[in-house]
Amino acid sequence: MSSKAAEIQLTIDGVPVSVPAGTTIFDAARLHGIPIPTLCHQQNENPVGVCRVCVVDVGQRVYAASCIRQVEPGMAVKTSTDQVRAARHTLVELLMSDHPTPCARQQQSGDCELEHLASVAGIKEPRFPHRTNPRGKDDSSAVIAVDHEACILCDRCVRGCDDIRHNWVLARRGKGYQAGIAFDNNLPMSESSCVSCGECMVSCPTGALTNKRVVGTQLGQGDVLDPAELLNLPIFQNVSGTFLELNQKAVVKRHFKAGETVCREGEFGSTAFYILEGKAEVFLSTPIAHVKTEGSSKGFFSKLQSLLAPREGDRRSEESDRPFIPIDASVDLPYDNPIAELNPGDMFGEMTCMSYYPRSATVRAKTDCVMLEMLRNVLDILQRNKTFRAQLERNYRARALDSHLRSVPVFKSLTQDFIDHLRDRVELLRFNPGQLICRQGDPADSFYLVRIGFVKVSELRPGGELVLAYLARGGYFGEIALLSGIPRSATCTALDHVEVVRISGEDFQLMLDRFPEVRQKLEAIARERIDENLRHTVQAQNVPVDQFLAQGLMEAQSLLVLDLEKCTRCDQCVRACADAHQGVSRLVREGLRFDKYLVATSCRQCRDPLCMVGCPVGSIRRRNTLEVIIEDWCIGCGLCATNCPYGNINLHPFPAELDDPAHPGHKIAGVRVKATSCDLCHDHAEPSCVYACPHDAAHRVNPPEFFAGLLAHPTPAKGRS
Amino acid sequence: MLIDHTHRRWFFVSVAGLAVATAVYIPYSLHSPQGPRGGSPLGLTYGIAGFLFMLFVGLLGARKKVPVWRVGRAQSWMRGHLWLGLLSFPLILFHGGFHFGGPLTRMLMWLFIFVWVSGILGAALQHFMPRFQTAQLPMETIYEQIDRVRGQLAEEAGQLVEETCSTLEGEVSRASDRQRAMSASAGTQGGLTVASGLQANRQVSTQLRQFLDDEMLPYLERPGAHAMSLSNEAQAQAMFQRFRVLLPSELHSNLDDLENICEEKRQLDKQNQLHKILHGWLLVHIPLSYALLLLGAVHAVVALKF
Repeated sequence: MSSKAAEIQLTIDGVPVSVPAGTTIFDAARLHGIPIPTLCHQQNENPVGVCRVCVVDVGQRVYAASCIRQVEPGMAVKTSTDQVRAARHTLVELLMSDHPTPCARQQQSGDCELEHLASVAGIKEPRFPHRTNPRGKDDSSAVIAVDHEACILCDRCVRGCDDIRHNWVLARRGKGYQAGIAFDNNLPMSESSCVSCGECMVSCPTGALTNKRVVGTQLGQGDVLDPAELLNLPIFQNVSGTFLELNQKAVVKRHFKAGETVCREGEFGSTAFYILEGKAEVFLSTPIAHVKTEGSSKGFFSKLQSLLAPREGDRRSEESDRPFIPIDASVDLPYDNPIAELNPGDMFGEMTCMSYYPRSATVRAKTDCVMLEMLRNVLDILQRNKTFRAQLERNYRARALDSHLRSVPVFKSLTQDFIDHLRDRVELLRFNPGQLICRQGDPADSFYLVRIGFVKVSELRPGGELVLAYLARGGYFGEIALLSGIPRSATCTALDHVEVVRISGEDFQLMLDRFPEVRQKLEAIARERIDENLRHTVQAQNVPVDQFLAQGLMEAQSLLVLDLEKCTRCDQCVRACADAHQGVSRLVREGLRFDKYLVATSCRQCRDPLCMVGCPVGSIRRRNTLEVIIEDWCIGCGLCATNCPYGNINLHPFPAELDDPAHPGHKIAGVRVKATSCDLCHDHAEPSCVYACPHDAAHRVNPPEFFAGLLAHPTPAKGRS
Repeated sequence: MLIDHTHRRWFFVSVAGLAVATAVYIPYSLHSPQGPRGGSPLGLTYGIAGFLFMLFVGLLGARKKVPVWRVGRAQSWMRGHLWLGLLSFPLILFHGGFHFGGPLTRMLMWLFIFVWVSGILGAALQHFMPRFQTAQLPMETIYEQIDRVRGQLAEEAGQLVEETCSTLEGEVSRASDRQRAMSASAGTQGGLTVASGLQANRQVSTQLRQFLDDEMLPYLERPGAHAMSLSNEAQAQAMFQRFRVLLPSELHSNLDDLENICEEKRQLDKQNQLHKILHGWLLVHIPLSYALLLLGAVHAVVALKF
C-alpha cells in the first residue's frame, strides 16, 4: 500500500485535514495549529486518555478523548463547541475541587497546568465540595517533594518512570478516593528504590511532584557548572540532566591552593566535597587526649586540676584501644598519628551534608586541588546513582574496609587474607532516617557494621519501646542472633542517614570458625549485652511510678540529688564542682523535683544517652557499666552538649597551638575546648559536690535503689550517700 | 542543716563532755577558797578548751573556702561547728566562774552570748526553713537567677495577653485559624449577634491590655511590690475571676497561665524573703564571731602575760 493511500481525510472545526492513518485527533489538530487543551498527555509519552480534558465532539453519542482516539475517514471533529467547552469546564472544575490552590508548582514557578486551564476557563471557586479525606504528603526525599493532594492521577509520572526511564518505581495504588501514585510497594519515596532521576517531577503537570531546593543554604564560592559540564564528569554519569538543570547552583567547582584549609573540625556545615584533582590531607588539630581531673596524691591541700591526658598516660577503666579514629571521610585516622591522605575520587563531609553534623576533621589541600562542593540534594542523587554507588563501594572496599574492621577491637585479630576474602563479599547498604534495618523477631541472616550515621537499638516490650543503645561508626549489631541461632532480639533503626556494611551470615560463621578468639570476644560481649538488657528490663518493670518515669529518672544510672529538707541553698556543691574543675562547674543546682529531692543538673549516665547521637567522630561512648566516657579524639564541636536534654555536658577550654589562618604553616596560641561531663571526681572516694556539702543534703545515688523505698511507700526511705 | 537522729553521736559526746566539765566544776567551785577563777589551773584549762573549741568552730568558714580539700567532709565540720560551739559556751562560763569580770572580759562575754544565741538561731532556722521553703515554694529557682526569671515572666505575660487580645479582636494577621474560629464562636455566645459580640470582645481586650500595663507588668518587673494588689493571692484571684466572666471559655487557659505567672512571681518574692532570713543571720553571726575570736586572743595574751 502506498503512503498516499494511508492518508485519512477529515475535518476539524470545519477545516479539511489530511493526516496519516493511526494519527490521533489531538496530533492531527496540533499539526494544523488547532489547540486542544490536555493534562494527562505530553508528546514524549504514550497517551492514556485518563483526564478527559481533551474531549472533542466526533458526532457520536459520547465525546472522545482526542489524545487516544485515532482519526477516521470523513470524521467531522468539533473541538470548541459550547457543549464541548462546557464539558471541559466541568472536568476542570471537578479536578480543581480536588486540588490545593495555589499548589507548590504554582507557588514556585506559576506554571501549574491545571491552574492555568482553570484560569483560562475563568474558574475561581469550583461549585463542587472539596475532598474531606486528605491524601497527605511525602516529604521523605531530599530532592523531590511529593504532595498527593495536588495529584490529578494523570499518570504522566508513572509513564515517565516506567516507559521513559525504565526504573519501574512508580505505579498507581488504591481505588476511588484512595487512589494515588505509589513508590515501589507504597513506600515513602526516600525508602523506595527511586534513583531520583527527576523524570516524574518534570512530567508532573501540577505541584504533586516538585523540586526541593535546599533552603537557606548557598554555596558562596566556586564556579557554577552547567549541566553539560557536570554530565561529562564520571560521577554524574546517568544522572538526569533535568535534575542538574533544576539544581544548577547546588554544586560548584572549587580550587584550593596547596596548604589552603578546605574545612575545619567542629565547624557546622552543610556541604560535601568530592576531590576531582590533587591531594588533600585530613587530620585532627584538637589534642588527642581526654580531660583528667587529678589531685590529692600530694596531700590534703593539693588542689584538683583538670589536665589533658592521652590514654597512654592515663588509662581509665575500659579505656578504648581503638587504633583508628572514625571520621566523616572514606578513610579513618590512626590514633597515634591522626592524619591521612585523600585522593581524587574520594568524598568527605557526607554526614555533615546529609545530617548537618559538625565537620569531623580538618581538611587541607596538600597539592593544588580541584574539588566539587555540593549540597545535600546533589549528594542524595549521587548516592542513589548506580555508577557513583559502585565507585564509592569500590573505594571503600579497596581503602577503608581494612581500617574499618580493624578499628573495632573485636576484629583486630582478623588476618589480611580473610579481609581480602571479605572485600568483594561485603555489601554497603544505605538507610534513611527512621528506616528499619532489622526487626525484632526476624530471622538473622547478616551481621552489620555501622559505617556512617547512628543506629538505634531498641526492644519492643508490652509497655512500649525500650532503647538499648545507640551505635555510631564502628558500632556493630546482629551478632547475638547469629551466635545463638535465635531470631533478632532487638529492632535496629536508622536515626539519621545511615550506611552499614553487611556481612552475610555465612561469612560471619566462617569468621567465627577461623578465628576462635573473635568468637570468644563476641560471645563475651553478647553475654554482657544480654545481661544488661535483662537488668534494664527488670528495672523498668519494677518501677511503676508515672512521675518517676516521666522525669526520665528511670533512664538515669546515677543522679545527683539534693535533699531539699536539708539543703540550705548555700551552693557549696556548685562551688566545689567548679573548684575541682578549674572554674568550670559541671553541675547546676536546678532541675526537676521528685518528692523532697531536687535532681540537680549533673550527668545522669542515662541509659538512653541522647548525647551520643551525632558525635561526628564517635568520641562519646559508654563503658559496660553504661557510664559515659569521652574519648581522646573529641574535637570539641559541642554537639553532645546541645543534644543532652538535661544540659549536663560542658565544654572545658584548654590552651592549644592552632594554625594561623592568616599565615599558613605558622602556629598561634589559642583555645581548644573538650567536652566534659561529671567524672564523679574519680581520683577521690567521693565526688567533690557531695564531699563539700555541709548539710548532708547532696547524694550521688542509683535512682531505682535510692528511690526504692519512696516508690514502694508514701514516706521516703533513707538512701545511701 | 536538719538536726535529726544522725546527730545522735555528736549529741551524746557533747552531753558527756558537758557532764564531765560540770562534774569537775562543781567540787572545784565549792572548794576553791576564792571561788572559781579564770586564772586558776582548772579555770585556765576550761578557758583553753573553750577557746580551742571556738577556734575550731571558727575554722568552718576557712574550710568552706576550700571545698575540695580532703580535710574531712564538710558535713563533719558543720556538725563539729554546731556541737562544739554549743559546748564552748558552758566551758567559758566555767572558765570565768559565771562572772563576767572586767571591761574586756565583760565585752567578750556579751559578744559570746550574741554569737552563741545567733548561732542557735541560725541552726534553728537551717533546721526548719529548708522544709518550709520546700513546701511553700514548688517553683523555687536559683536565688541569683530571680531577676532574670522575673524578666522572663513579664515577657511571657506580654505574649499571652497579646495572643488573647489578638484572638478576641479577630485580627487576621495575628490570630491563627483556630483562634479566629474561637473568636467567632465567642461572638455568638449568649445570644449576642456576631457584631455586638465582637464589639464586646474589643472592650474586653482593651481592659486586658490595660490590666497588663497597669497591674501585671509593674508587679512582675518590680522585686517585692508587696503593696500591689497582685501580691495578694485572694485579690489576684478576684481580678482574674473578673476576666474569666468576660472571656470565652476557650481563652480561660490563657488566663490560667497568666494567673500562674503571678503565682510564680509571688513565690519568687517569698523565696527572696526566705533566702534573706535563711542566710541573713550570718551577717550578724560571722562578724561577731571574728570579733570574738580576735578579742578572745587578745584576752588570752593579756591574761597570760600580765
